[in-house]
Amino acid sequence: MRSFWPIYKRELFAFFVTPLAWVLIGAFVVVQGMHFFVLVDHFSSSESIAGDETPLSAFFGNTVLHYMVLFVLIPPMTMRLFAEERRSGTIETLMTAPVSSSAVVLAKYAAALTTYCAMWSPTLLYLVILSRADPAGRLDTHAAASAYLGVLLVGAGYLAIGVCASALTRSQFLAMVCTALVLLVFFILGVGEFVTREGTTMHDVCAYVSVWSHMNDFASGLVDSRRLVFYATTIVLPLFVATRAVDSWRWG
Amino acid sequence: MIRVSHLTKRYGAHTAVDDVSFEVGAGEVVGFLGPNGAGKSTTLRILAGFLGASAGTVTVAGHDVAVDSIEARRCIGYMPEAVPLYPEMRVVEYLRFRAELKGVPGARRRAHVDDALGRAGVLDVANKTIGHLSKGYRQRVGLADALVARPPIVILDEPTAGLDPNQIRETRALVRELGREHTVVLSTHILSEVEACATRVLLLHKGKLVAEGATERIRAMRSPTAVDVTVHGDAGVAAEALRAVDGVASVDPVAAGGEDPRVKLRVKLGGPGVDGAEGRALATERCVAALVRVGIGVREVRAADGSLEDVFAALTGDTDDTSRADGDAASA
Repeated sequence: MRSFWPIYKRELFAFFVTPLAWVLIGAFVVVQGMHFFVLVDHFSSSESIAGDETPLSAFFGNTVLHYMVLFVLIPPMTMRLFAEERRSGTIETLMTAPVSSSAVVLAKYAAALTTYCAMWSPTLLYLVILSRADPAGRLDTHAAASAYLGVLLVGAGYLAIGVCASALTRSQFLAMVCTALVLLVFFILGVGEFVTREGTTMHDVCAYVSVWSHMNDFASGLVDSRRLVFYATTIVLPLFVATRAVDSWRWG
Repeated sequence: MIRVSHLTKRYGAHTAVDDVSFEVGAGEVVGFLGPNGAGKSTTLRILAGFLGASAGTVTVAGHDVAVDSIEARRCIGYMPEAVPLYPEMRVVEYLRFRAELKGVPGARRRAHVDDALGRAGVLDVANKTIGHLSKGYRQRVGLADALVARPPIVILDEPTAGLDPNQIRETRALVRELGREHTVVLSTHILSEVEACATRVLLLHKGKLVAEGATERIRAMRSPTAVDVTVHGDAGVAAEALRAVDGVASVDPVAAGGEDPRVKLRVKLGGPGVDGAEGRALATERCVAALVRVGIGVREVRAADGSLEDVFAALTGDTDDTSRADGDAASA
Protein backbone atom coordinates (compact mmCIF):
# COMPACT_ATOMS: atom_id res chain seq x y z
CA MET A 1 0.00 0.00 0.00
CA ARG A 2 3.09 2.21 0.16
CA SER A 3 2.75 2.68 -3.56
CA PHE A 4 -0.71 4.25 -3.13
CA TRP A 5 0.54 7.82 -2.63
CA PRO A 6 2.84 8.18 -5.64
CA ILE A 7 0.22 6.73 -7.99
CA TYR A 8 -2.52 8.86 -6.45
CA LYS A 9 -0.43 12.00 -6.86
CA ARG A 10 0.50 11.12 -10.43
CA GLU A 11 -3.12 10.47 -11.38
CA LEU A 12 -4.22 13.78 -9.90
CA PHE A 13 -1.38 15.43 -11.78
CA ALA A 14 -2.55 13.75 -14.99
CA PHE A 15 -6.10 14.97 -14.34
CA PHE A 16 -5.18 18.57 -13.69
CA VAL A 17 -2.22 19.08 -16.00
CA THR A 18 -4.30 18.08 -18.99
CA PRO A 19 -7.38 20.10 -19.91
CA LEU A 20 -9.67 17.17 -19.09
CA ALA A 21 -10.40 18.00 -15.44
CA TRP A 22 -10.76 21.71 -16.16
CA VAL A 23 -13.17 21.16 -19.03
CA LEU A 24 -15.27 18.79 -16.93
CA ILE A 25 -15.27 21.07 -13.89
CA GLY A 26 -16.01 24.10 -16.06
CA ALA A 27 -18.93 22.40 -17.78
CA PHE A 28 -20.21 21.14 -14.45
CA VAL A 29 -20.08 24.53 -12.75
CA VAL A 30 -21.85 26.24 -15.66
CA VAL A 31 -24.66 23.69 -15.73
CA GLN A 32 -25.09 23.63 -11.94
CA GLY A 33 -24.96 27.42 -11.79
CA MET A 34 -27.80 27.71 -14.27
CA HIS A 35 -29.71 25.03 -12.42
CA PHE A 36 -29.27 26.87 -9.14
CA PHE A 37 -30.21 30.21 -10.63
CA VAL A 38 -33.44 28.84 -12.10
CA LEU A 39 -34.34 27.22 -8.78
CA VAL A 40 -33.72 30.29 -6.67
CA ASP A 41 -35.58 32.43 -9.17
CA HIS A 42 -38.50 30.01 -9.03
CA PHE A 43 -38.61 29.94 -5.22
CA SER A 44 -38.35 33.69 -4.83
CA SER A 45 -41.11 34.44 -7.32
CA SER A 46 -43.70 31.77 -6.61
CA GLU A 47 -46.11 32.48 -3.82
CA SER A 48 -47.39 29.05 -2.93
CA ILE A 49 -44.64 26.54 -2.32
CA ALA A 50 -45.28 23.09 -0.92
CA GLY A 51 -44.40 23.17 2.77
CA ASP A 52 -41.24 21.11 2.93
CA GLU A 53 -39.75 22.13 -0.42
CA THR A 54 -36.64 24.24 -0.08
CA PRO A 55 -34.16 25.34 -2.75
CA LEU A 56 -31.70 22.97 -1.13
CA SER A 57 -33.89 19.87 -1.44
CA ALA A 58 -34.91 20.86 -4.94
CA PHE A 59 -31.29 21.34 -5.99
CA PHE A 60 -30.16 17.87 -4.96
CA GLY A 61 -33.34 15.82 -5.12
CA ASN A 62 -36.42 15.74 -7.25
CA THR A 63 -34.47 16.64 -10.31
CA VAL A 64 -33.16 14.71 -13.25
CA LEU A 65 -30.55 17.39 -13.86
CA HIS A 66 -28.34 16.14 -11.09
CA TYR A 67 -28.35 12.72 -12.66
CA MET A 68 -27.85 13.81 -16.26
CA VAL A 69 -24.77 15.79 -15.31
CA LEU A 70 -23.20 12.76 -13.67
CA PHE A 71 -24.18 10.60 -16.62
CA VAL A 72 -22.28 12.88 -18.96
CA LEU A 73 -19.29 13.66 -16.74
CA ILE A 74 -18.42 10.41 -14.94
CA PRO A 75 -17.57 8.21 -17.97
CA PRO A 76 -14.94 10.64 -19.35
CA MET A 77 -13.43 10.98 -15.89
CA THR A 78 -12.73 7.29 -15.50
CA MET A 79 -12.33 6.02 -19.05
CA ARG A 80 -8.63 6.76 -19.34
CA LEU A 81 -7.50 5.48 -15.93
CA PHE A 82 -6.45 2.01 -17.07
CA ALA A 83 -7.35 1.88 -20.76
CA GLU A 84 -4.91 4.66 -21.65
CA GLU A 85 -2.03 3.05 -19.77
CA ARG A 86 -2.67 -0.27 -21.45
CA ARG A 87 -2.92 1.27 -24.89
CA SER A 88 0.24 3.35 -24.52
CA GLY A 89 2.14 0.56 -22.74
CA THR A 90 2.95 2.54 -19.59
CA ILE A 91 1.11 -0.15 -17.66
CA GLU A 92 4.23 -2.27 -18.21
CA THR A 93 6.47 0.14 -16.31
CA LEU A 94 3.78 0.66 -13.68
CA MET A 95 3.17 -3.02 -12.98
CA THR A 96 6.87 -3.96 -12.98
CA ALA A 97 7.45 -1.50 -10.14
CA PRO A 98 6.92 -3.00 -6.69
CA VAL A 99 3.21 -2.16 -6.51
CA SER A 100 0.21 -4.29 -5.57
CA SER A 101 -2.82 -4.49 -7.83
CA SER A 102 -5.12 -3.24 -5.09
CA ALA A 103 -2.91 -0.20 -4.47
CA VAL A 104 -3.00 0.66 -8.18
CA VAL A 105 -6.78 0.34 -8.38
CA LEU A 106 -7.42 2.25 -5.15
CA ALA A 107 -5.00 5.04 -6.03
CA LYS A 108 -6.55 5.61 -9.44
CA TYR A 109 -10.03 5.44 -7.95
CA ALA A 110 -9.12 7.85 -5.16
CA ALA A 111 -7.71 10.31 -7.70
CA ALA A 112 -10.95 10.21 -9.72
CA LEU A 113 -12.98 10.64 -6.54
CA THR A 114 -10.85 13.61 -5.50
CA THR A 115 -11.44 15.22 -8.88
CA TYR A 116 -15.14 14.55 -8.44
CA CYS A 117 -15.10 16.28 -5.05
CA ALA A 118 -13.19 19.21 -6.54
CA MET A 119 -15.92 19.39 -9.18
CA TRP A 120 -18.60 19.73 -6.51
CA SER A 121 -16.73 22.06 -4.20
CA PRO A 122 -17.81 25.30 -5.95
CA THR A 123 -21.44 24.39 -5.19
CA LEU A 124 -20.71 24.94 -1.48
CA LEU A 125 -20.95 28.63 -2.35
CA TYR A 126 -24.63 28.09 -3.10
CA LEU A 127 -25.16 27.21 0.55
CA VAL A 128 -23.54 30.47 1.55
CA ILE A 129 -25.79 32.32 -0.91
CA LEU A 130 -28.89 30.55 0.41
CA SER A 131 -28.11 31.33 4.05
CA ARG A 132 -27.43 34.98 3.13
CA ALA A 133 -30.72 35.13 1.26
CA ASP A 134 -32.69 33.92 4.23
CA PRO A 135 -33.72 36.87 6.39
CA ALA A 136 -32.78 34.99 9.55
CA GLY A 137 -29.61 33.56 8.01
CA ARG A 138 -30.77 30.00 8.64
CA LEU A 139 -29.68 27.00 6.72
CA ASP A 140 -30.60 23.40 7.41
CA THR A 141 -27.02 22.23 7.84
CA HIS A 142 -28.02 18.65 8.56
CA ALA A 143 -30.00 18.39 5.35
CA ALA A 144 -27.09 19.99 3.49
CA ALA A 145 -24.65 17.50 4.98
CA SER A 146 -26.82 14.53 4.10
CA ALA A 147 -27.35 15.93 0.59
CA TYR A 148 -23.59 16.12 0.08
CA LEU A 149 -23.22 12.64 1.55
CA GLY A 150 -25.67 11.49 -1.14
CA VAL A 151 -23.71 13.30 -3.83
CA LEU A 152 -20.52 11.69 -2.60
CA LEU A 153 -22.00 8.20 -2.46
CA VAL A 154 -23.65 8.36 -5.88
CA GLY A 155 -20.46 9.68 -7.43
CA ALA A 156 -18.28 7.17 -5.59
CA GLY A 157 -20.43 4.31 -6.81
CA TYR A 158 -20.51 5.50 -10.40
CA LEU A 159 -16.79 6.21 -10.46
CA ALA A 160 -16.10 2.70 -9.19
CA ILE A 161 -18.15 1.34 -12.08
CA GLY A 162 -16.13 3.53 -14.44
CA VAL A 163 -12.81 2.34 -12.99
CA CYS A 164 -13.94 -1.25 -13.45
CA ALA A 165 -14.94 -0.65 -17.08
CA SER A 166 -11.60 1.01 -17.77
CA ALA A 167 -9.73 -1.97 -16.32
CA LEU A 168 -11.69 -4.40 -18.45
CA THR A 169 -10.90 -2.93 -21.86
CA ARG A 170 -7.93 -1.48 -23.74
CA SER A 171 -10.14 1.04 -25.50
CA GLN A 172 -10.96 4.29 -23.76
CA PHE A 173 -13.97 4.74 -25.97
CA LEU A 174 -15.32 1.31 -25.08
CA ALA A 175 -14.70 2.01 -21.39
CA MET A 176 -16.69 5.24 -21.70
CA VAL A 177 -19.56 3.58 -23.54
CA CYS A 178 -19.71 0.67 -21.08
CA THR A 179 -19.74 2.99 -18.07
CA ALA A 180 -22.44 5.14 -19.64
CA LEU A 181 -24.49 2.03 -20.43
CA VAL A 182 -24.37 0.77 -16.85
CA LEU A 183 -25.35 4.22 -15.54
CA LEU A 184 -28.15 4.32 -18.09
CA VAL A 185 -29.43 0.96 -16.89
CA PHE A 186 -29.50 2.30 -13.34
CA PHE A 187 -31.37 5.35 -14.57
CA ILE A 188 -33.91 3.37 -16.60
CA LEU A 189 -34.55 1.10 -13.63
CA GLY A 190 -35.03 4.26 -11.59
CA VAL A 191 -37.63 5.52 -14.05
CA GLY A 192 -39.24 2.11 -13.71
CA GLU A 193 -40.18 3.05 -10.17
CA PHE A 194 -42.83 5.37 -11.60
CA VAL A 195 -44.15 3.13 -14.35
CA THR A 196 -44.32 -0.25 -12.62
CA ARG A 197 -47.28 -1.17 -10.42
CA GLU A 198 -46.71 -0.79 -6.73
CA GLY A 199 -46.31 -4.07 -4.86
CA THR A 200 -44.61 -5.97 -7.69
CA THR A 201 -41.05 -7.24 -7.35
CA MET A 202 -40.02 -5.13 -10.31
CA HIS A 203 -41.26 -2.03 -8.56
CA ASP A 204 -39.26 -2.91 -5.45
CA VAL A 205 -36.12 -3.51 -7.47
CA CYS A 206 -36.60 -0.24 -9.36
CA ALA A 207 -37.24 1.72 -6.19
CA TYR A 208 -34.16 0.17 -4.61
CA VAL A 209 -31.75 1.28 -7.34
CA SER A 210 -33.48 4.56 -8.23
CA VAL A 211 -31.00 7.38 -7.90
CA TRP A 212 -33.96 9.70 -8.03
CA SER A 213 -35.49 8.49 -4.78
CA HIS A 214 -32.04 8.10 -3.22
CA MET A 215 -31.26 11.74 -3.82
CA ASN A 216 -34.73 12.79 -2.68
CA ASP A 217 -34.11 11.10 0.64
CA PHE A 218 -30.62 12.47 1.04
CA ALA A 219 -31.68 15.98 0.03
CA SER A 220 -34.40 16.07 2.65
CA GLY A 221 -31.99 14.96 5.34
CA LEU A 222 -32.85 11.26 5.38
CA VAL A 223 -29.89 8.90 5.64
CA ASP A 224 -31.31 5.44 5.04
CA SER A 225 -29.07 2.43 5.77
CA ARG A 226 -30.45 0.64 2.69
CA ARG A 227 -28.98 3.43 0.55
CA LEU A 228 -25.67 3.14 2.36
CA VAL A 229 -25.59 -0.61 1.72
CA PHE A 230 -26.52 -0.11 -1.92
CA TYR A 231 -23.75 2.40 -2.55
CA ALA A 232 -21.21 0.43 -0.52
CA THR A 233 -21.97 -2.44 -2.90
CA THR A 234 -21.62 -0.31 -6.02
CA ILE A 235 -18.24 0.88 -4.72
CA VAL A 236 -16.74 -2.34 -3.43
CA LEU A 237 -17.90 -4.80 -6.06
CA PRO A 238 -16.58 -2.96 -9.18
CA LEU A 239 -13.31 -2.14 -7.42
CA PHE A 240 -12.89 -5.80 -6.50
CA VAL A 241 -13.55 -6.85 -10.11
CA ALA A 242 -11.08 -4.19 -11.30
CA THR A 243 -8.39 -5.52 -8.95
CA ARG A 244 -8.92 -9.04 -10.23
CA ALA A 245 -8.79 -7.73 -13.80
CA VAL A 246 -5.44 -6.05 -13.10
CA ASP A 247 -4.15 -9.35 -11.70
CA SER A 248 -5.43 -11.22 -14.74
CA TRP A 249 -3.41 -9.16 -17.27
CA ARG A 250 -0.38 -11.11 -16.13
CA TRP A 251 -1.91 -14.22 -17.64
CA GLY A 252 -3.09 -12.67 -20.89
CA MET B 1 20.94 -13.60 -9.00
CA ILE B 2 18.44 -14.96 -11.48
CA ARG B 3 17.52 -18.62 -11.68
CA VAL B 4 15.08 -19.77 -14.34
CA SER B 5 14.06 -23.39 -14.58
CA HIS B 6 11.86 -25.01 -17.21
CA LEU B 7 10.14 -21.73 -17.99
CA THR B 8 7.28 -22.06 -20.47
CA LYS B 9 4.88 -19.37 -21.64
CA ARG B 10 1.93 -20.22 -23.84
CA TYR B 11 -0.49 -17.81 -25.48
CA GLY B 12 -3.40 -20.05 -26.32
CA ALA B 13 -2.02 -22.66 -28.70
CA HIS B 14 1.12 -20.65 -29.41
CA THR B 15 4.15 -21.40 -27.27
CA ALA B 16 6.25 -18.25 -26.99
CA VAL B 17 8.82 -19.62 -24.56
CA ASP B 18 9.42 -23.35 -24.44
CA ASP B 19 11.12 -25.01 -21.46
CA VAL B 20 13.93 -22.51 -20.99
CA SER B 21 16.36 -22.90 -18.10
CA PHE B 22 19.34 -20.73 -17.27
CA GLU B 23 21.07 -18.91 -14.47
CA VAL B 24 22.58 -15.47 -14.26
CA GLY B 25 25.22 -14.84 -11.64
CA ALA B 26 25.87 -11.59 -9.78
CA GLY B 27 27.79 -9.03 -11.82
CA GLU B 28 27.26 -10.75 -15.15
CA VAL B 29 26.14 -8.93 -18.28
CA VAL B 30 24.03 -11.44 -20.11
CA GLY B 31 22.68 -10.86 -23.59
CA PHE B 32 19.61 -12.54 -24.98
CA LEU B 33 20.13 -12.98 -28.67
CA GLY B 34 17.61 -14.14 -31.19
CA PRO B 35 15.62 -13.08 -34.21
CA ASN B 36 12.37 -11.18 -33.74
CA GLY B 37 9.71 -13.40 -32.23
CA ALA B 38 12.21 -15.73 -30.58
CA GLY B 39 10.68 -15.15 -27.15
CA LYS B 40 13.25 -12.68 -25.81
CA SER B 41 10.76 -10.01 -24.75
CA THR B 42 8.38 -12.56 -23.28
CA THR B 43 11.18 -14.06 -21.18
CA LEU B 44 12.28 -10.64 -19.95
CA ARG B 45 8.70 -9.67 -19.14
CA ILE B 46 8.35 -12.77 -17.02
CA LEU B 47 11.62 -11.97 -15.25
CA ALA B 48 10.38 -8.45 -14.59
CA GLY B 49 7.11 -9.75 -13.17
CA PHE B 50 4.87 -8.27 -15.86
CA LEU B 51 3.76 -11.64 -17.22
CA GLY B 52 3.16 -14.89 -15.43
CA ALA B 53 4.72 -18.12 -16.56
CA SER B 54 2.57 -20.99 -17.83
CA ALA B 55 4.99 -23.44 -16.27
CA GLY B 56 8.36 -23.38 -14.57
CA THR B 57 9.81 -21.16 -11.89
CA VAL B 58 11.75 -17.91 -11.91
CA THR B 59 13.72 -16.80 -8.88
CA VAL B 60 15.13 -13.28 -8.71
CA ALA B 61 17.58 -12.49 -5.92
CA GLY B 62 16.10 -15.33 -3.92
CA HIS B 63 12.47 -14.29 -4.43
CA ASP B 64 10.14 -16.41 -6.54
CA VAL B 65 8.46 -13.97 -8.95
CA ALA B 66 5.15 -15.85 -8.75
CA VAL B 67 5.01 -16.10 -4.94
CA ASP B 68 6.96 -13.09 -3.73
CA SER B 69 6.35 -10.85 -6.71
CA ILE B 70 6.66 -7.45 -5.04
CA GLU B 71 9.95 -8.29 -3.31
CA ALA B 72 11.31 -9.68 -6.59
CA ARG B 73 10.26 -6.53 -8.47
CA ARG B 74 11.98 -4.41 -5.84
CA CYS B 75 15.31 -5.91 -6.96
CA ILE B 76 14.80 -5.16 -10.65
CA GLY B 77 15.06 -2.08 -12.81
CA TYR B 78 13.26 -2.90 -16.04
CA MET B 79 13.14 -1.00 -19.30
CA PRO B 80 10.45 -2.33 -21.67
CA GLU B 81 11.09 -2.57 -25.37
CA ALA B 82 8.84 0.32 -26.40
CA VAL B 83 10.03 2.53 -23.48
CA PRO B 84 6.55 3.69 -22.53
CA LEU B 85 6.54 7.00 -20.63
CA TYR B 86 3.92 9.51 -19.51
CA PRO B 87 4.11 12.23 -22.16
CA GLU B 88 2.56 14.94 -19.98
CA MET B 89 5.23 14.77 -17.27
CA ARG B 90 8.61 16.46 -17.17
CA VAL B 91 11.63 14.18 -17.08
CA VAL B 92 12.58 15.07 -13.51
CA GLU B 93 8.97 14.78 -12.33
CA TYR B 94 8.71 11.38 -13.92
CA LEU B 95 11.89 10.13 -12.28
CA ARG B 96 10.82 11.48 -8.88
CA PHE B 97 7.52 9.66 -9.28
CA ARG B 98 9.27 6.44 -10.28
CA ALA B 99 11.74 6.71 -7.40
CA GLU B 100 8.91 7.15 -4.91
CA LEU B 101 6.97 4.32 -6.51
CA LYS B 102 9.98 2.04 -6.18
CA GLY B 103 10.25 2.87 -2.51
CA VAL B 104 13.28 5.18 -2.48
CA PRO B 105 12.94 7.06 0.82
CA GLY B 106 12.21 10.77 0.57
CA ALA B 107 15.53 11.90 1.98
CA ARG B 108 17.54 10.05 -0.64
CA ARG B 109 15.17 10.56 -3.57
CA ARG B 110 16.77 13.73 -4.89
CA ALA B 111 20.23 12.19 -4.90
CA HIS B 112 18.95 9.06 -6.64
CA VAL B 113 17.15 11.08 -9.31
CA ASP B 114 20.13 13.37 -9.95
CA ASP B 115 22.42 10.37 -10.17
CA ALA B 116 20.14 8.56 -12.62
CA LEU B 117 19.78 11.70 -14.74
CA GLY B 118 23.54 12.01 -14.93
CA ARG B 119 24.30 8.38 -15.68
CA ALA B 120 21.70 8.14 -18.44
CA GLY B 121 22.86 11.46 -19.89
CA VAL B 122 19.54 13.30 -19.66
CA LEU B 123 20.56 16.13 -17.34
CA ASP B 124 20.18 18.68 -20.14
CA VAL B 125 16.53 17.74 -20.73
CA ALA B 126 15.59 17.23 -17.06
CA ASN B 127 12.99 20.00 -17.18
CA LYS B 128 11.53 19.19 -20.57
CA THR B 129 8.17 17.55 -21.07
CA ILE B 130 8.65 13.91 -22.05
CA GLY B 131 6.20 14.21 -24.94
CA HIS B 132 8.52 16.71 -26.62
CA LEU B 133 11.65 14.55 -26.45
CA SER B 134 13.25 12.72 -29.36
CA LYS B 135 13.33 8.94 -29.50
CA GLY B 136 16.94 8.83 -28.34
CA TYR B 137 16.24 10.92 -25.26
CA ARG B 138 13.09 8.97 -24.44
CA GLN B 139 15.15 5.80 -24.57
CA ARG B 140 17.62 7.29 -22.12
CA VAL B 141 14.85 8.48 -19.80
CA GLY B 142 13.68 4.86 -19.75
CA LEU B 143 17.21 3.87 -18.86
CA ALA B 144 17.33 6.46 -16.07
CA ASP B 145 14.05 5.02 -14.77
CA ALA B 146 15.55 1.53 -14.70
CA LEU B 147 18.51 2.85 -12.67
CA VAL B 148 16.78 5.30 -10.36
CA ALA B 149 16.19 2.93 -7.44
CA ARG B 150 19.72 1.49 -7.83
CA PRO B 151 18.44 -2.06 -8.18
CA PRO B 152 20.90 -4.98 -8.10
CA ILE B 153 19.46 -6.28 -11.38
CA VAL B 154 18.84 -4.23 -14.51
CA ILE B 155 16.80 -5.69 -17.35
CA LEU B 156 16.89 -3.86 -20.67
CA ASP B 157 14.74 -4.99 -23.57
CA GLU B 158 16.40 -3.90 -26.83
CA PRO B 159 18.12 -0.87 -25.31
CA THR B 160 19.51 0.40 -28.62
CA ALA B 161 16.46 -0.06 -30.85
CA GLY B 162 15.73 3.09 -32.82
CA LEU B 163 18.87 4.98 -31.82
CA ASP B 164 21.39 6.60 -34.14
CA PRO B 165 24.95 5.17 -34.35
CA ASN B 166 26.35 7.68 -31.85
CA GLN B 167 23.65 6.96 -29.31
CA ILE B 168 24.10 3.23 -29.84
CA ARG B 169 27.78 3.56 -29.01
CA GLU B 170 26.99 5.60 -25.90
CA THR B 171 24.34 3.16 -24.76
CA ARG B 172 26.65 0.20 -25.20
CA ALA B 173 29.34 1.96 -23.20
CA LEU B 174 26.80 2.68 -20.48
CA VAL B 175 25.68 -0.95 -20.38
CA ARG B 176 29.29 -2.08 -20.01
CA GLU B 177 29.72 0.40 -17.19
CA LEU B 178 26.51 -0.81 -15.53
CA GLY B 179 27.96 -4.30 -15.52
CA ARG B 180 30.46 -3.21 -12.88
CA GLU B 181 27.80 -2.54 -10.25
CA HIS B 182 24.70 -4.33 -11.49
CA THR B 183 23.72 -7.65 -12.90
CA VAL B 184 22.52 -6.76 -16.38
CA VAL B 185 20.24 -8.75 -18.66
CA LEU B 186 19.60 -7.30 -22.09
CA SER B 187 18.07 -8.50 -25.31
CA THR B 188 18.85 -7.74 -28.90
CA HIS B 189 18.57 -9.22 -32.34
CA ILE B 190 21.88 -7.71 -33.42
CA LEU B 191 24.86 -9.99 -33.09
CA SER B 192 27.46 -7.27 -32.79
CA GLU B 193 25.52 -5.73 -29.91
CA VAL B 194 25.96 -8.64 -27.53
CA GLU B 195 29.55 -8.86 -28.62
CA ALA B 196 30.01 -5.25 -27.63
CA CYS B 197 28.23 -5.43 -24.27
CA ALA B 198 27.72 -8.88 -22.87
CA THR B 199 30.04 -11.29 -21.12
CA ARG B 200 27.72 -14.20 -21.76
CA VAL B 201 25.17 -14.89 -24.45
CA LEU B 202 21.94 -16.87 -24.42
CA LEU B 203 20.61 -17.73 -27.85
CA LEU B 204 16.89 -18.08 -28.21
CA HIS B 205 15.22 -19.43 -31.29
CA LYS B 206 11.49 -20.10 -31.64
CA GLY B 207 11.08 -19.98 -27.88
CA LYS B 208 13.83 -22.48 -27.17
CA LEU B 209 17.23 -21.82 -25.68
CA VAL B 210 19.46 -23.21 -28.42
CA ALA B 211 22.79 -22.27 -26.93
CA GLU B 212 24.57 -20.41 -24.23
CA GLY B 213 28.17 -19.55 -23.80
CA ALA B 214 30.75 -16.88 -23.25
CA THR B 215 30.72 -14.08 -25.80
CA GLU B 216 34.10 -15.19 -27.20
CA ARG B 217 32.61 -18.51 -28.24
CA ILE B 218 29.81 -16.83 -30.10
CA ARG B 219 32.27 -14.46 -31.72
CA ALA B 220 34.35 -17.43 -32.92
CA MET B 221 31.28 -19.04 -34.46
CA ARG B 222 30.50 -15.85 -36.21
CA SER B 223 33.80 -15.77 -38.08
CA PRO B 224 32.71 -16.21 -41.66
CA THR B 225 32.79 -19.58 -43.38
CA ALA B 226 32.66 -17.98 -46.83
CA VAL B 227 34.31 -15.16 -48.73
CA ASP B 228 32.98 -13.09 -51.60
CA VAL B 229 35.62 -12.62 -54.29
CA THR B 230 35.14 -10.02 -56.99
CA VAL B 231 37.29 -10.79 -60.03
CA HIS B 232 38.01 -9.10 -63.31
CA GLY B 233 38.21 -11.56 -66.18
CA ASP B 234 36.70 -14.87 -67.25
CA ALA B 235 34.40 -16.15 -64.55
CA GLY B 236 34.72 -19.75 -65.73
CA VAL B 237 38.49 -19.73 -65.47
CA ALA B 238 38.34 -18.08 -62.07
CA ALA B 239 35.86 -20.61 -60.72
CA GLU B 240 37.92 -23.47 -62.14
CA ALA B 241 41.04 -22.18 -60.44
CA LEU B 242 39.25 -21.64 -57.11
CA ARG B 243 37.72 -25.11 -57.07
CA ALA B 244 41.20 -26.62 -57.32
CA VAL B 245 42.31 -24.81 -54.14
CA ASP B 246 42.69 -26.88 -51.01
CA GLY B 247 40.00 -25.89 -48.52
CA VAL B 248 37.37 -24.61 -50.94
CA ALA B 249 34.08 -26.44 -50.61
CA SER B 250 32.09 -24.75 -53.35
CA VAL B 251 32.13 -21.77 -55.71
CA ASP B 252 28.97 -20.04 -56.91
CA PRO B 253 28.58 -16.84 -58.87
CA VAL B 254 26.69 -14.27 -56.77
CA ALA B 255 26.16 -11.47 -59.24
CA ALA B 256 27.15 -11.26 -62.87
CA GLY B 257 27.42 -7.68 -63.95
CA GLY B 258 26.08 -7.85 -67.55
CA GLU B 259 28.23 -5.31 -69.44
CA ASP B 260 30.43 -5.09 -66.37
CA PRO B 261 33.42 -7.46 -66.76
CA ARG B 262 33.58 -7.91 -62.98
CA VAL B 263 32.14 -11.09 -61.49
CA LYS B 264 31.41 -11.77 -57.87
CA LEU B 265 31.88 -15.32 -56.63
CA ARG B 266 30.77 -16.74 -53.29
CA VAL B 267 33.50 -19.12 -52.15
CA LYS B 268 32.48 -21.43 -49.31
CA LEU B 269 35.45 -22.56 -47.25
CA GLY B 270 35.54 -25.93 -45.59
CA GLY B 271 36.87 -29.41 -45.76
CA PRO B 272 39.54 -31.24 -43.79
CA GLY B 273 42.07 -29.02 -42.08
CA VAL B 274 40.00 -25.86 -42.60
CA ASP B 275 38.28 -25.12 -39.34
CA GLY B 276 38.61 -22.17 -37.05
CA ALA B 277 39.32 -18.63 -38.06
CA GLU B 278 43.02 -19.23 -38.78
CA GLY B 279 42.40 -22.16 -41.13
CA ARG B 280 39.88 -20.16 -43.09
CA ALA B 281 42.22 -17.19 -43.33
CA LEU B 282 44.95 -19.43 -44.81
CA ALA B 283 42.47 -20.89 -47.32
CA THR B 284 41.55 -17.35 -48.34
CA GLU B 285 45.20 -16.57 -48.99
CA ARG B 286 45.52 -19.69 -51.16
CA CYS B 287 42.44 -18.64 -53.15
CA VAL B 288 43.92 -15.25 -53.99
CA ALA B 289 47.26 -16.82 -54.94
CA ALA B 290 45.52 -19.29 -57.25
CA LEU B 291 43.56 -16.53 -58.99
CA VAL B 292 46.67 -14.43 -59.52
CA ARG B 293 48.51 -17.48 -60.91
CA VAL B 294 45.94 -17.97 -63.70
CA GLY B 295 45.99 -14.27 -64.57
CA ILE B 296 42.64 -13.21 -63.11
CA GLY B 297 42.50 -9.73 -61.61
CA VAL B 298 41.28 -9.75 -58.01
CA ARG B 299 39.29 -6.61 -57.30
CA GLU B 300 37.94 -7.36 -53.86
CA VAL B 301 37.97 -10.10 -51.26
CA ARG B 302 35.44 -9.68 -48.55
CA ALA B 303 34.41 -12.00 -45.76
CA ALA B 304 30.75 -12.86 -46.18
CA ASP B 305 29.02 -11.58 -43.02
CA GLY B 306 28.41 -14.28 -40.49
CA SER B 307 24.72 -13.73 -39.97
CA LEU B 308 22.74 -14.75 -36.94
CA GLU B 309 21.31 -17.57 -39.02
CA ASP B 310 24.82 -18.88 -39.70
CA VAL B 311 25.51 -18.92 -35.98
CA PHE B 312 22.26 -20.72 -35.34
CA ALA B 313 23.09 -23.22 -38.06
CA ALA B 314 26.54 -23.72 -36.62
CA LEU B 315 25.15 -24.12 -33.13
CA THR B 316 22.26 -26.41 -33.83
CA GLY B 317 24.50 -28.55 -35.99
CA ASP B 318 27.13 -28.68 -33.26
CA THR B 319 27.38 -31.51 -30.80
CA ASP B 320 29.88 -29.94 -28.42
CA ASP B 321 29.24 -28.60 -24.94
CA THR B 322 27.38 -25.49 -26.07
CA SER B 323 24.60 -27.55 -27.59
CA ARG B 324 21.52 -28.06 -25.49
CA ALA B 325 20.48 -31.21 -27.34
CA ASP B 326 21.18 -33.44 -24.34
CA GLY B 327 19.22 -31.11 -22.07
CA ASP B 328 16.23 -31.23 -24.39
CA ALA B 329 16.37 -34.99 -24.52
CA ALA B 330 16.42 -35.21 -20.74
CA SER B 331 13.33 -33.05 -20.35
CA ALA B 332 11.37 -34.69 -23.16
